[in-house]
Amino acid sequence: MTTETLYALVGVGLFILGLYALFVRANLLRKILAANVMSSGVFLVLVALARRTGTVAPDPVPHAMVITGIVVAVSVTAFALILMLRIAMKTGQTELPDTWSE
Amino acid sequence: MEVIITTFPWGVVLILVPLFGALSCFMWPNVARYLALSTAFALVMSVIALAVRLITTGSYRHEIGGWGAPLGIELFADGLSLLMLAATAVVGFAVTVYSIGYFPNRQLLRFLPIWFLLLAALNALFLSGDIFNLYVALELTGLAAVALTAMSGGRAALIAAMRYLFATLVGSMSYLLGVVLIYHSFGSLDFMILAERVEASPATWSALGLMSIGLALKTALFPLHFWLPPAHASAPAPVSAALSGLVVKASFYILLRLWLEVFPAGHSLIPGEFLGALGVCAIFWGGLQALRATRLKLLIAYSTVMQVGYFFLVFPLATVVAWHGVLFLLLSHALAKAAMFLAAGNIIYFAGHDRIVDFDRIAQQLPMTLAAFALAGVCIMGLPPGGGFIAKWLMVQASLESGQWWWAAALILGSLVAAAYVFKVVGHSFTQTTVREKTNVVPVLMEWTALALALASVLLGLVASWPLAWMEIGGVFAGVPAR
Amino acid sequence: MDTLNLAQWVFDSLTGTGLLWLAWMALASPQLIRAIVIFVAFGLLMALTWVRLDAVDIALAEVAIGAGLTGALLLAALAKLTAAQTEISKSDHRPRDGRAVRALRQLPAVLMFLVAAGLVYSVLSLPPVSSGLSVEVDANLGTSGVENPVTAVLLNFRGYDTLLEIFVLLLALLGVWSLGGLPPQRVAPAGPVLHTLAVVLTPVLILLAAYFLWAGVKGPGGAFQAGATLGAAGVLLQLAGWRPGPGFARVHWRLILVAGPALFILVALFTIVAGRHLLEYAPEHAGTLILLLESGATLSIGLTLAGLFFGERPDDGYDNDN
Repeated sequence: MTTETLYALVGVGLFILGLYALFVRANLLRKILAANVMSSGVFLVLVALARRTGTVAPDPVPHAMVITGIVVAVSVTAFALILMLRIAMKTGQTELPDTWSE
Repeated sequence: MEVIITTFPWGVVLILVPLFGALSCFMWPNVARYLALSTAFALVMSVIALAVRLITTGSYRHEIGGWGAPLGIELFADGLSLLMLAATAVVGFAVTVYSIGYFPNRQLLRFLPIWFLLLAALNALFLSGDIFNLYVALELTGLAAVALTAMSGGRAALIAAMRYLFATLVGSMSYLLGVVLIYHSFGSLDFMILAERVEASPATWSALGLMSIGLALKTALFPLHFWLPPAHASAPAPVSAALSGLVVKASFYILLRLWLEVFPAGHSLIPGEFLGALGVCAIFWGGLQALRATRLKLLIAYSTVMQVGYFFLVFPLATVVAWHGVLFLLLSHALAKAAMFLAAGNIIYFAGHDRIVDFDRIAQQLPMTLAAFALAGVCIMGLPPGGGFIAKWLMVQASLESGQWWWAAALILGSLVAAAYVFKVVGHSFTQTTVREKTNVVPVLMEWTALALALASVLLGLVASWPLAWMEIGGVFAGVPAR
Repeated sequence: MDTLNLAQWVFDSLTGTGLLWLAWMALASPQLIRAIVIFVAFGLLMALTWVRLDAVDIALAEVAIGAGLTGALLLAALAKLTAAQTEISKSDHRPRDGRAVRALRQLPAVLMFLVAAGLVYSVLSLPPVSSGLSVEVDANLGTSGVENPVTAVLLNFRGYDTLLEIFVLLLALLGVWSLGGLPPQRVAPAGPVLHTLAVVLTPVLILLAAYFLWAGVKGPGGAFQAGATLGAAGVLLQLAGWRPGPGFARVHWRLILVAGPALFILVALFTIVAGRHLLEYAPEHAGTLILLLESGATLSIGLTLAGLFFGERPDDGYDNDN
């Protein structure tokens, strides 16, 4: 197995772990962590496979895509955290209720 | 003059204008409402110019940075993008006008910059010819939509926004992983190049699966619709109008493009019949929940779940007539559903609530609003001469022609359910209730906006030949069987 | 494509396992504070992985943003949660479920397993060599105006993506501001150590940001890394007790926030009016334009990130009822 395949598979693993935790964890902070793990996994697949150029230099396009992706991830995380705090202020809880009502 | 119109890259203008509008509304709050109106007006004008260009000279591509694919990103405008851009400009203009009456000043100043970022994101999405650029546009759309949903700050709205955020994040991550697999298989992100290179392989199937599921989640296809009703029901009314009218169609649009252009042979892994069956479930589940709903905005939100079901009937049919029908449905639903939410907003503004049984003679007190709701209802039910009638007619025709009568049955039964919930609302609007509230006077402009959109959705059926002709610009259905 | 020798194989296996293990611990640990600390460690290991994968540009961004800033945001959020004394659910498992419900709870795990199997198979089936777009990038690097291929992609070949991304950042801040204020907190006065740290480190971070901006032309670095470093300086100042005053928030803050996106729009408009394609630079001006765009973007990114950490709209007089 080559380095790039190994890290790409780890990326798949992270994606799945994050997705699973996002489903089953109730706590909002942990769901936000899970979403971050998920995106790290996608980025890892993207960059690991970019080394298959057959030369020394990897393909720079995925690198640029991931840098912008990391910035998007942090902005979404910041927004999600404040949203979570607002929900905690309104409901006193850091979980989403099973049913919803006014 | 004519040369300018037929050679200028109007698509670029459609992206830059709302971005500039967002920045200027943020920088100069004192004149924000005038800036907002000018921006919305400029968008409508640019779409008209783009339409003139496309009708006279056909579809065109714009190489951003002058590089051209595969290195650079290309914008792509054809009949399909034109329809979506036109719907965005019309609904966008109506919502902008309406919001100035609806929101108190502080809320309006929060709303406008995010709103124009949403419009810019939608326009960018409808013009993009690059699958990674589409991801960026999707993220921008999703984040703006969630921020607008949470705006009112109420308990229900915040919780709905959080759910919506997680759903939209999973959707875009799933889509992005699909993009990754495609890029590493075929070495390009450009639609046109991919259309030539894509061939069946495990990676292609996975990518199509990931992208389809992610986009279906963002489009709220049953059973992935759980986030939609609370979000669309608890967002401020003008926001709901944009969410139901435009935002759910954005992800569906990408799905259409992928199926039509990139994966013509990739239908095998997720059969069209499966998506169609989910669509039928969505029609009946959404219809049933709409019938049961006690609040008007929730009823309209479930009606959107139902209409999304109709959209997915195109995948098992997959003939030119069916595609025409679905695109026409996208257009007429955008107008009608936005009109319905704006009408609901008028009622909430007037009475302070949207409990259907407590409606107190709305028909007498807000006749224009009720007329708007009823006209939009005609379109949603699929009665002539509404735009929805033409759309469903085409889809019924397509299913009968291909010998799959059961899809036609679902379409017709669905229309009956839609009729039932529309009449439920209209019925309660004539009755008197014992509950007396302090009522507010609804600004005339808000009533007119809702009515204008509803009228447009009905008139669409009378001028159906135009949009049906525009769809063909650029020959997007070239690879689709005629019947 | 390199066949692994033993040392590399051991290193890669350890790193890969470590990533998965840390991610799992962060998502499964019963205490939130522990989960966050593990998550930051995960970010640092990710940075190491990026270096291993010859992606130094990403490693810089990951250290500054993925581990540093995200960690700071998470810790700050947890502190505010605790301060608001909300009922933080200790366990993620709910009691009193029947057998059927418990069986249903296994469904996600089964689903995930199937999805994982499909994805692994797809990745293994990919062609072993694919040059992607590296050939095209190399061929056009000479006329792009910069020497670092990643910067060339970000600011020139796919500059339009970056234009939209800058607006995503601004949008996140506008979204946070539209959610309204947070409850006032008793902020403990910064201790002398933190204060000294802020005084010493802030100028260093600003210089470092300038260096990253400049270095990004030739090697690893660029607007995002520089902006993140500036953002870190902003976070540090806030931790030391600095708050944006009304005058600063009303004029300077808003101008700097808009600078990056506005420069992009202006350059875009200029290229269109000049009859070129959108964001098409003449090769002789490309270098200057890119540096201009990056400078604006750095300032805006830095201030936006600092603003996201602040968490609410500073009192600029524009968000009140009149």
